[in-house]
Amino acid sequence: MTETTLQFTREISASAHNVWRSWTEPDLLKQWFAPKPVATTQSVIGPQLGGGFNTTMVIPDMPEPMSSDGCVLAADPSQRPAITNMMTGGFQLQDTSGEGQFPFTAEMTISAHDTGCTYTVTVRHLDAAGANHSAQWDSSTDGGPQPTRWPTWQERSANRAKIVRY
Amino acid sequence: MTNQLDSFFGAMADPTRRAVIERLASGPASVSELHAPHQMALPTFMRHLKVLEETGIVRSIKKGRVRTCHIEAAPLIEAQGWLAWQREIWEGRLDRLDTLAKNLEAFDD
Repeated sequence: MTETTLQFTREISASAHNVWRSWTEPDLLKQWFAPKPVATTQSVIGPQLGGGFNTTMVIPDMPEPMSSDGCVLAADPSQRPAITNMMTGGFQLQDTSGEGQFPFTAEMTISAHDTGCTYTVTVRHLDAAGANHSAQWDSSTDGGPQPTRWPTWQERSANRAKIVRY
Repeated sequence: MTNQLDSFFGAMADPTRRAVIERLASGPASVSELHAPHQMALPTFMRHLKVLEETGIVRSIKKGRVRTCHIEAAPLIEAQGWLAWQREIWEGRLDRLDTLAKNLEAFDD
């Protein structure tokens, strides 16, 4: 695993079925995918191989809602379901090299057991992703003091900085 | 910038170099101070320092017979900051997904 891969594991006291539903039913995904005050207003999810994984988010202070389209790479919840933003539905390639964008894949395992399930997400990034953001961040400081941390989503939206696509 | 990040992660992959960074995070130190806790020959240790200097994470200044090293924060902030931010986003998602799935469970009962 490289240093640009993030992996999270959590014991969830809910069935694997309900975790899967939370990812694949649009009305459920809307409830958890974006942090408040950002609102996921639309989600269109095709939970099958090559299906779309599309969300629209409304971010306070941003003039336009932000749409992000992705593709389902694997859709069997008992295997390793995965999505990417390097493609849209139907395996159509898309450019993720624009400012504030970065390509990723997110892969899951949802293992059922007696008291719920073990849920793991592995998110893989290119090094270039960090480079894009660094450039963007540097230009936003206008020669001011060097930041000691990245701004939170709320701070970024508050100063109308360009928000990354999720 | 991509190359810079690559060399950054390469540099940080080694435990000796990570220990040096951790020590320097609390303030500048001489080469002999940095070398002291490590069970390796000085020339070997110097090679590790050289890797860190080449990536720009560590800078050193020689005054008289003492070479003092300090940390150059920018590459660390750039690489760790972005990843830490992504980590924060996914951890938040995990928390909210956990809560929602448990709520759905309550409906099922």
